[in-house]
Amino acid sequence: MPLPVPRPFQRPARGATRHVEVGGVRVPYELVVDPWPDPYLDLDAYDPDADLMPINWGPQHPSTHGVLRVKLFMDGEVCVKAVPYLGYLHRGVEKLCEKLSYAQVTPIVDKNDYVSPMMNELAINMAFEKLLGVEPPPRAQVIRTIFAEMQRVASHLLWLGTWAMDAGGALGGGATLFMYCFREREMILDLFEEVTGARFHYNTHTVGGNRHDLPGGWEEKAIRVLDHIESRLPEYEDFLRDNDIFLVRTRGVGRLDPLLAMEIGVSGPSLRASGVDHDRRRDAPYAAYDRVEVKVPVRDAGDALARYEVRMDEMRESIRIARELLQDVPAGPITALKPVKMPKAIKVATGRSAYVGIESPRGELGTFVIAQNERKTAHLPYRLKIRPPSFHAMALLPYLAPGATLSDIVVIAGSLDPILGEVDR
Amino acid sequence: MSALPDDVRAIFERFELDLPEDPPDLLVEEGPLVPRDKLLGLARALKLEAHCLFFVYCAAAHYPPGPASRIPGMGEGELPDGTLVAYRVRRLAGGRPVDVPFRVWVPTGETTPSLVPVWVGADWQEREQYDLVGTVFEGHPDLRRIMLPEDWEGHPLRKDYAIDTPHFPWR
Repeated sequence: MPLPVPRPFQRPARGATRHVEVGGVRVPYELVVDPWPDPYLDLDAYDPDADLMPINWGPQHPSTHGVLRVKLFMDGEVCVKAVPYLGYLHRGVEKLCEKLSYAQVTPIVDKNDYVSPMMNELAINMAFEKLLGVEPPPRAQVIRTIFAEMQRVASHLLWLGTWAMDAGGALGGGATLFMYCFREREMILDLFEEVTGARFHYNTHTVGGNRHDLPGGWEEKAIRVLDHIESRLPEYEDFLRDNDIFLVRTRGVGRLDPLLAMEIGVSGPSLRASGVDHDRRRDAPYAAYDRVEVKVPVRDAGDALARYEVRMDEMRESIRIARELLQDVPAGPITALKPVKMPKAIKVATGRSAYVGIESPRGELGTFVIAQNERKTAHLPYRLKIRPPSFHAMALLPYLAPGATLSDIVVIAGSLDPILGEVDR
Repeated sequence: MSALPDDVRAIFERFELDLPEDPPDLLVEEGPLVPRDKLLGLARALKLEAHCLFFVYCAAAHYPPGPASRIPGMGEGELPDGTLVAYRVRRLAGGRPVDVPFRVWVPTGETTPSLVPVWVGADWQEREQYDLVGTVFEGHPDLRRIMLPEDWEGHPLRKDYAIDTPHFPWR
């Protein structure tokens, strides 16, 4: 059914990873699967005599990382077909935002990706700024980048702890690793609280800049916390990387074809673990990413272990970027517009649209916004569409689940790091 | 703001699309308007010839009847009730990635070809737009609601759907 893309035809020598160019993109040969599993498999045609067992995974099971229901058709121990059902957390954010002015949207979208709220705010405000043609001052840009990188560390820490628990209660001594990760994450949340007054739903980005300036001495404190977290990371790796149970549970599990990943729109660590070198921070720099060098970790294995390795490397990289920026935060104003007193003050009546995609911890978080073309309602967005990375990652499940056992499906879904708040919106 | 790459522009010109020049960034940011009968052919060319393998998003917006000038690049005159579907695909090959957007106008009551045969990732995206905006994608293998319950009436992101529309027993 999908269009044929030019496939390689020669198998390489065993052991060595060979790369092939498909559509101009260099991808690991071993990961190229042909054909992909059929997500619309007709179960009667599959085997009329088979005694398939439907299992409803979720919506309340903790290993779904939220409220997701997946109907799994199991042939013995192995999954044959997976049908995800979304919408348990659907709140109609996009409709709601059509009735809110540009300045009022930020606290609403905070709740989309509830593990990295800073990213939601950044994505939406960057799209509005593009629509308005406003450029935030350098200090705001640097503060935004620092927040984004610290948020990435916090988000990956939460993912690490919960996913290690998914993979097996014995890993990291029961809930020990989970608790350790949360302890470190709490330090970052404390830092954010000091700036914004909120632990979680910050509402700190506005159109044209930031709402809260850094308090005195915050930079030194943040550097100390980042140093501390960096010193802890090898400890977490010792829990997992040297653990045979962990390696058996993750190595070779959920191998993701890079072509399938690109067509579905999977981005972020999941795409980079499949050998595709694409990162919005480096390839289309936004905020202050043009001031620092962004090294992008890439792995070729494409399995759950590779996704874990990419995220661990990303944490170190984020700490490095944040530290580099913290040492030299430029002085000056933090917002390009006057502080908003009346939400209706920001108006666009061009009918134009804008798209901005940023690199959130889960991948490309995009915002597509169409402006009004009437003066009367110019303070409201006409249509707002959020492109959540987790939505695209969840669209992978019908392709990755067939052929895997139920216990592996838990690991696969967890390794994609879905946040159901942004899947359902 | 960067210009459209030459090979993508050549593909657009081969399909005899109207490439807007005013405002100058319209073509790069929002893309040309594609007639529905040319959509599948253009999508195939973009994927196989221009190597746009990465499917970024598909987003539909509802427009009640009114002047065509509400939509940039649409020209003058009156438009019937319909939706504008905006697509964006990306080429990752060769250095800096290139985004290629394009748009399709679909009058209400008519259908537009689904892009699932070209990019499998269009599957859930189009289901979402069908669910929320009501655009019907012809040739989609599994076009059913994705966010809302199966028996939901109406499509909430349409402009004639009030935000406080009651729906028993949910609200």
